[in-house]
Amino acid sequence: MSTSDRLHVVTADDLPPSRVAFGRTIIWASGLLLLLSFALQTAQALHWVDLGLTTWRPTLYAYLVWAVCLCWGQVLMRGEQGKRVLFVLPAVLFVVSLTVFPLLFGILIALSDWNLSNPDGRKFNGTANIVRMWNDPFYWNALGNMVWYCLAIVVEYAIAFGLALMLNAQIRARKFFRVAFLLPLMLSPVAVSWMVGKSILDVRLGPIAQLSQWLGLGQPSFFGDPVVAMLTIMAMDAWTFIPFMMIMLLAGLQAIPQEVQEAARVDGASGWRGFWEVTFPLMLPVSVTAILIRVIFKLKLADIVITVTSGGPGGATDTVTSFIYREYRDRSNVGYGTLLAMVYLVIIIVAMTVLMKVADRFVRPRT
Amino acid sequence: MKTHLFDLAVRAAMSRRRLLQGAASLGALSAMGMPKGALAQDADLRAQILAIPGVGAGSPTDQHFQQVGELCLGPTKANVAEGEFAGVELTFMGLNNQNLHNILFRGFLKPWEDYTGAKINWIDLAQADYNPRLQQAIATGTVDFDIVEMGAPFEGDTAGRGLLDEMPDWVKEQIDMADYVAYLQPPVGTWDGKTYRITIDGDCHTFAYRTDYLSDPGISGATGMTEAPTTWQQVNDFSKKVVGQTDPLTGSPAFGFLDPLKYQWGGFGFYFLEDRATAYVKHPDDPAWLFDPDTMKPRVNNPGWVQAIQDVMDLMAANAYPPDQVNADPNATAFSQFLGGTGSMLTWWGDVGSNARTSDTSVVGDVVGFSINPGSDRVYNHAAGAWEEPEGANFAPNLAYLGWGVYVTNRVSGDEKKRKAAWSAAAHLGGKDISLWMAAYPSGFQPYRNSHFNFDEWEAAGYDRAYIEDYLGSNQESYNHPNAAIEPRIPGIFQYYSIAEDELVKGLSGQYGSAQETADAIAAAWEGITDQIGRDNQIKLYKASLGM
Repeated sequence: MSTSDRLHVVTADDLPPSRVAFGRTIIWASGLLLLLSFALQTAQALHWVDLGLTTWRPTLYAYLVWAVCLCWGQVLMRGEQGKRVLFVLPAVLFVVSLTVFPLLFGILIALSDWNLSNPDGRKFNGTANIVRMWNDPFYWNALGNMVWYCLAIVVEYAIAFGLALMLNAQIRARKFFRVAFLLPLMLSPVAVSWMVGKSILDVRLGPIAQLSQWLGLGQPSFFGDPVVAMLTIMAMDAWTFIPFMMIMLLAGLQAIPQEVQEAARVDGASGWRGFWEVTFPLMLPVSVTAILIRVIFKLKLADIVITVTSGGPGGATDTVTSFIYREYRDRSNVGYGTLLAMVYLVIIIVAMTVLMKVADRFVRPRT
Repeated sequence: MKTHLFDLAVRAAMSRRRLLQGAASLGALSAMGMPKGALAQDADLRAQILAIPGVGAGSPTDQHFQQVGELCLGPTKANVAEGEFAGVELTFMGLNNQNLHNILFRGFLKPWEDYTGAKINWIDLAQADYNPRLQQAIATGTVDFDIVEMGAPFEGDTAGRGLLDEMPDWVKEQIDMADYVAYLQPPVGTWDGKTYRITIDGDCHTFAYRTDYLSDPGISGATGMTEAPTTWQQVNDFSKKVVGQTDPLTGSPAFGFLDPLKYQWGGFGFYFLEDRATAYVKHPDDPAWLFDPDTMKPRVNNPGWVQAIQDVMDLMAANAYPPDQVNADPNATAFSQFLGGTGSMLTWWGDVGSNARTSDTSVVGDVVGFSINPGSDRVYNHAAGAWEEPEGANFAPNLAYLGWGVYVTNRVSGDEKKRKAAWSAAAHLGGKDISLWMAAYPSGFQPYRNSHFNFDEWEAAGYDRAYIEDYLGSNQESYNHPNAAIEPRIPGIFQYYSIAEDELVKGLSGQYGSAQETADAIAAAWEGITDQIGRDNQIKLYKASLGM
């Protein structure tokens, strides 16, 4: 025990060499068991040997044994220090089991030709899925659409900010409106799809279509034209998620001290200048956070598209997620679908990192 | 019988007086002419089970399922001794849609379990979960069920991989397979000459049309038609000429045939292009119409298929569809548009007919007629590479989806006692008499045996004969048509349909230069799927599914 260790030590560790050796032995022995099990199962999977194993459970059990021995061995070998390690090590092993291993397995699948209808099962095919993706017009079309969908967030933000300002002001029935405006966020996007997309916007029986006909404006088509269809999907998605941005912005507005605005007014600032020069800059950190989170939600847009348009007409409303859904579920193309999802994940991570850096630089001078 | 069909039957059923008349006539029939013996016993049994619980007496319950199951145990008792399967446990995987399917099977098989001593464990799945569950079990080698309710399109994935157990001869006799309608006869249910399937359901598309469009003077004057069109050429001509007329029922603009232009429907939307295409490409001398059996080269870009796509494009160009039709999937086309009074013709499974009369949102009421799908004045002979003009047009009803069947997996193959138990349970569900009850009451299944079309039995049970003849007649004609287009039971068939839907809507939205380019894009995508799944294996299985 080093003298610089400031943690309280309950017991003085005087570890006999046999105990340390035993700890080391069980760790190594269980590690070897894990390796051996993994090697044998790999050999079985590659049809080099036939051990009659049908699942990977033996390796899983070996991993559990190794994990227990590793934890136990820490205490045997390191005494009190080992006990401290136990506060973290099981959690680390758990996280590794549930995130790192599946991610590695996912990468392996993404680099495989695996159609569930192929009797030969999964086959490693290197970069073939990447080449296919590169030449897949459906994927690029969906990615292009995502750019437009994300750009719509600017409009959503403006509306949300306006609503937040309104709800922050001293208006009548403010509490009622706060709750009422939040209601769309509480609805499932699938419910919104059916209520709005399939019922209210129904071209024949929907109330909007009937009103339009009553006014002599003819029968409107909300999903017939590619541009109109995308705008309609954007509007439905915005209706659901604007309250989310609004509530974040409202919280930000309420955190701004009243005195700041009062000081601006004393200095002669008009309402607009007060907003643009004082409120808006102060709200930038909250705004950036709200927009970034909204972008993440937007990149996952799928349920409304799948339910209402299936990506049509002609792919005009398709999103990456709805395309992956069709590729994976309708066409059982597990390998290619996984690759598309992995690439999309990388794109999202890179884009969000860049966006956060830019936002950070944009916000910092004003705060 | 599907639930909605039963509801219709109940509404159209006879009054108590007519029911008594029917019962009396059945009794008189037996008293007068029917010989005593097996035939009379069969008729008695069938009449007896059709009276459980009785048309108009509410929906059947588990108690009724068990009663029917008990009464239909005769064939089982002939082949299995009491208590013969004591100690045997079987796992049955099936659906629980609308509280039907497995829910009924439980009741039917309860008396069977009591008699044989076997025990059945159940895996109930919702429709949406069924395909992924089955596909993943197959792909990962984790089949954990002994008996499975399955659609014939999956036979390629299961029988083609040797996952099923071959049907013993005694089962074939017990269920009287010769009674199946023509299209469910082998090769359906067979692979490499071996039989695997006990059929419990049937499916096909039929043509539904509005009769008032044919009698309305204005529309008839514009279209020149007073009889229902029988070919796609007539349908297209009618659809173009009816534009600008007024719907006689709703007063809104009149429209002709309704193609569901939002074809993307999980693969099932492609059936509706097939409805048009089969008349052009299904040649009576050639069982194949989707792929070339020797190479798996797609035929979807041959002139016949291109004509089918071109027809749709021409109708779009002629503004012959209702507004927003590009966003109308098959479901909306049938149940929102056609039944709501928009458009005058469509192809669909049987339930449009029943819903026309029972659905609260239907306004078309009794102005609906049925026939087999339209034919074509000319058919493309793929072997000769030329169009032919057969006398009387070429008809090729699309037997879209082949209905449900019960299969036994190879998990039981090594244990003869368990194997016999599994097949006995499956045969009990696919028995001739119990199937009549399933055809007549809500079960989730359509009629599929020739004996189901004995309208006297239905009438005697209390059903409206005119309705039964009208509705089931078009199905029966499609089922038994000599040139019916039968679905290829190859692995991944819905993958082909799904990508075809994606490419088709691209073509219809003008992203390809022509119908030919659209068809070429579909063909290229199909080639990719075939290569991915394995061409040699697909060829082998395709030939097997065609009985070649």
